[in-house]
Amino acid sequence: MARCALHKMALAGAFSEEKLKEVEEIAEVYSYAPIKTALNFGFLQRKEYVAFLESQGFQFINVREEELEPVYIEQCDISHMNSFLYLPLRKDASGTLLIAVADPLDEKLETSLIVKFKCQVKFVASSDLDITWVAHKLRGGFFVKEAVFGLMKKDPESSGLITFTDAQLYFIFGFIALFCIMLIFYFAPTIIVINLLSSLFFLFSILFKLYLALTGSKSELKDVVSKEEIKNVNEATLPVYTILLPVYKEDKLIRKLIWNLRSLDYPKGKLDVKLLIEEDDDKTLNAVRNLDFPANFEVIVVPFHMPKTKPKACNYGLFFSRGEFLTIYDAEDVPDSDQLKKVVCQFRKLPDEFVVLQGALNYFNKNENFLTRMFTLEYSYWFDYMLSGLETLDIPIPLGGTSNHFKLGKLIELGAWDPFNVTEDADLGLRVYDKGLKVGVVNSTTLEEANNEFFNWIRQRSRWIKGYMQTYLVHMRNPAKLVRKVGWKGFFGFNFFIGGTSFTFLLYPILLAFFVLYLIFRFSAVRQVFPDWVLYISIFNFIAGNVLMIYVNMLAVFKRRYYELILYSACNPIYWLMHSRAAYKGLWQLITKPFYWEKTNHGLSKLSSTSAVVTPE
Amino acid sequence: MKKVAKLFLNGFLALGLLVYYLFLSWIVHRTSYEHPESLFFAEKLKILFENPDSTLITLGTTFPTLVFFSTAIFIPFGYLFAPIVASIALTTLLFYIILNDIKSDGQMSLNIAVPIMCLLFVFHPGLIYTAISGRGVAAILLCFYLLMRSLFQYYRTQTTFYLSMASIYLTCLVFCNYHFIWLLLAFFPFIVLVSLEGLKINKDQPQALQYLDSVNNTSQRRKLVNRTTAIYVIVFLLPLGALYLFRTLNQTHAGDPTYFMTSQYANWHVLGDIPIGELLARGVTENVSEQTQLVFQVYALLLNPLLIVAIWYFRGKLYELLTLLAPFLLMSIVLVNNINYLTVEYYLMILVLGLLGLSLYSKNRFSPKVTWFIIYTAAFLNVFGGIFYFHRSVDPFEQHFFAKLKDYKAWIGEKKITEEAQVAAYISSVATANRKILIDDAAAFAIIAHMRNTNAAVLPTNKNYITIVENPELGVSFLCIAKDNNSMKNFSVLNSYNLEQMSVRNSFTTLLMYQTEHWAIYRIVSNKG
Repeated sequence: MARCALHKMALAGAFSEEKLKEVEEIAEVYSYAPIKTALNFGFLQRKEYVAFLESQGFQFINVREEELEPVYIEQCDISHMNSFLYLPLRKDASGTLLIAVADPLDEKLETSLIVKFKCQVKFVASSDLDITWVAHKLRGGFFVKEAVFGLMKKDPESSGLITFTDAQLYFIFGFIALFCIMLIFYFAPTIIVINLLSSLFFLFSILFKLYLALTGSKSELKDVVSKEEIKNVNEATLPVYTILLPVYKEDKLIRKLIWNLRSLDYPKGKLDVKLLIEEDDDKTLNAVRNLDFPANFEVIVVPFHMPKTKPKACNYGLFFSRGEFLTIYDAEDVPDSDQLKKVVCQFRKLPDEFVVLQGALNYFNKNENFLTRMFTLEYSYWFDYMLSGLETLDIPIPLGGTSNHFKLGKLIELGAWDPFNVTEDADLGLRVYDKGLKVGVVNSTTLEEANNEFFNWIRQRSRWIKGYMQTYLVHMRNPAKLVRKVGWKGFFGFNFFIGGTSFTFLLYPILLAFFVLYLIFRFSAVRQVFPDWVLYISIFNFIAGNVLMIYVNMLAVFKRRYYELILYSACNPIYWLMHSRAAYKGLWQLITKPFYWEKTNHGLSKLSSTSAVVTPE
Repeated sequence: MKKVAKLFLNGFLALGLLVYYLFLSWIVHRTSYEHPESLFFAEKLKILFENPDSTLITLGTTFPTLVFFSTAIFIPFGYLFAPIVASIALTTLLFYIILNDIKSDGQMSLNIAVPIMCLLFVFHPGLIYTAISGRGVAAILLCFYLLMRSLFQYYRTQTTFYLSMASIYLTCLVFCNYHFIWLLLAFFPFIVLVSLEGLKINKDQPQALQYLDSVNNTSQRRKLVNRTTAIYVIVFLLPLGALYLFRTLNQTHAGDPTYFMTSQYANWHVLGDIPIGELLARGVTENVSEQTQLVFQVYALLLNPLLIVAIWYFRGKLYELLTLLAPFLLMSIVLVNNINYLTVEYYLMILVLGLLGLSLYSKNRFSPKVTWFIIYTAAFLNVFGGIFYFHRSVDPFEQHFFAKLKDYKAWIGEKKITEEAQVAAYISSVATANRKILIDDAAAFAIIAHMRNTNAAVLPTNKNYITIVENPELGVSFLCIAKDNNSMKNFSVLNSYNLEQMSVRNSFTTLLMYQTEHWAIYRIVSNKG
């Protein structure tokens, strides 16, 4: 007697007994229906399954178009529906409750639902994806509200819902007023002082980055987790690992995604992969539906709620996550195959205060065009040296967008991501320090797709810089408190790294313009604000700053052995001008639409991630 | 107690050496020994702190910059003594770092290293000169040692960190001595060989064949070129960038991008480096032959047997060997276009390199007894090499130093003061803020260094200097003139010839108030009634 569709398939020879056994074991661990396990852990292809049921005489209905009686669905818990893939529709004339299910042969589910609804039930077959979509849309309201407002309720001071506090507005406008008054009465001295301070800030900020890079480059000398250790890991002791994959209209990347996930060296049953799809994103949902090979992720549909940001989707995904550890990847990411094992080993070695490890990011399409080359230079320096430097010096680390590995329990304690912050990752990294916990760095790389199109790049970068400004404003609401929490070193590190980065980009074109006006055109008006000593310091800062920035970029790609990119570092001043353009856009958006998420288009690269060599460093 | 002594041994020894050098410098300076480069820095420091008109130009163009800045740290010891304390401190630091490296590396037994190091730093006249002359040699040796050490550490670990540290030290080195920028060429052979490391070629064959293999394969050749360029850029970007910056600053503030190299106001070497032609003209023909291609390198190597031993130890390690030989290539490049007599720093860097080589690779080559014998013998010979060098040196400043060092009887005699100090004392006694003296620090830097302060002097750094040179009566009462027999008279406008021109042009007469062998102080007597 078959107990579910999989058993029937096994009897018919369409599903192996070994797989069935494996599916049952995993289903037991996750408390999932066997069919959910089979469809989401790479055991069964959806099309195959549908064909089998249809051959058994089952007709599939589209639940999205069915009439629903809310009273029944309101009795159901979203987690349960999500785990067992069912959706109560309505009662028919005979008083039988019609329930759409992914597995109409699941006897165990049938029994439990009869008990639950205290009436006869009738199963009708439907797509698991549609059931998931309707279930989340109708019953995910509470969770999505929690995802949006959870942090604000729990820790309002850390929420970016308010961009500028009153005190910050007083300070900013007070400063502008004072500046204007000084300009009217003491024009030249005021410009000189501003020029000098900006110039010194610029240099100090870059010297700080050089220092961080040199400190970070020492990390090459140590390997916290050796290859041998990873090889000797007992897989039975590995915990369940959640991977969140927030996507929006990434239909073209789904195949790549499955391929990349398959290359991860981690027990299949212990990978709890969640593909977070927005409610209005039918493109991606249909791409999953039309796959002609088994998917190895579970689809979670995020109900509509503003702001429509990645952190909101991730927060929503947290409610359904089962892992001890959690990480985020983008759809196109290619992590080192041993990354998850390495993280587990490293977490086991580190003190409890380390709650998140950031992996290095780099690009598989580095040689595609000028932009991707510059992006690779920047990322190599940022993730290979800067973050290691910050970790060594115990300065708050702004997390990168993906490949950050959390202890799930601690992440929830922290209030997860701020959905109002467009660089929620950087903000979360600082919040970790705020709570007396630590961020570490793991020596493992995830290859991403570098943005290869100028305007797409500007959109992405303006969001990042806006996010840095937001993060800076949030954490600087009470500077004294911040000092108390992270210490002076952390405070200055935060100011120069988070505040300084945006400020330097805003400043750069102004300093460049002054410099060009004076040195090339020798405008006498400019001479007034460049007395000899100011000119000396300005020239020194400007040339030294640029040379040092070029230099630190070179160091990192040298470490990566991307020798062909070394000379591109010389184009860093141009790349900085592009940053400045993005910074001004970000500043404008910070004022006009602070929560607007500038979507970056992925999948523009003509190069395939599979062509990239994934070799752990 | 023993443990504590062992732990702090290097510190104690360095402290002892510091006291020894301070004592020795006090003694030698009592006998009126002063190196003009030290006085040059002292004078620049004095101008920097006492003359607000010239802060920027003094601070921004004085070269070698790093040596000048290092002397500025020791200002609390007084302008005159600051350069000497700086060179003593840097020499002691070099001693401490080398000893520490030997200790942490564990290649050379401390039982051998400590006596050797003490022997060299206490008795080698070159190292004593480095410490107590107040010249920039100590800074050069320190940066050179750190640079070479970083390169060897890079070979061991293949980490970018050490390569970038090498670049930083090289930048420092170039700002101690401009000639070291030519390491750009001298490093080429070993950088190419180091680049072979990352290529997929048969590593069992000799490196020369590996090189041939790689250039004969398109893909490997491209990789070789990429890697060589990458290492080159990483090592040389900072020094070249820094030089570009420095030249730009010289251009914008002094009107000449090479001001720091060519102006007697910015660089003592313009005044103090002695052209070989001039030595020959003076009739000094002996020992000048060492300053020619190949002879110079062989001479330097023979005077430093420690490096010969190190080279012996490194045989079979081609690119490391080439690294040890890079300074010789540098010497060749410098000698190609050199007209000046090369002084002791070029010999001493070979000694420092020898110590580095031995500290890195002296273990397990021979039995401890043989090692002990070889290294001790080489060290003793090295000390004698140093004595021999000074005995034969034709550089007048080195000759002067060696003569004072040998003249131990004078150490305990009455304190002697130099000619410049006597002139300075006279000027300080007559010139005041209202009765100033016109003095040109291009030639008279040693006098200014000895003056109590510069309030009573009109210097080229003062805005009204040109006006006063044109018409001295307008602003000064005295003139400090370089006499005809003063070797630096051509560097200054204030010399005997120009004095006549000035007095004829302005119808004033001068009254000789005071004179020494090379200097004369005149009072201006107006003829205008």
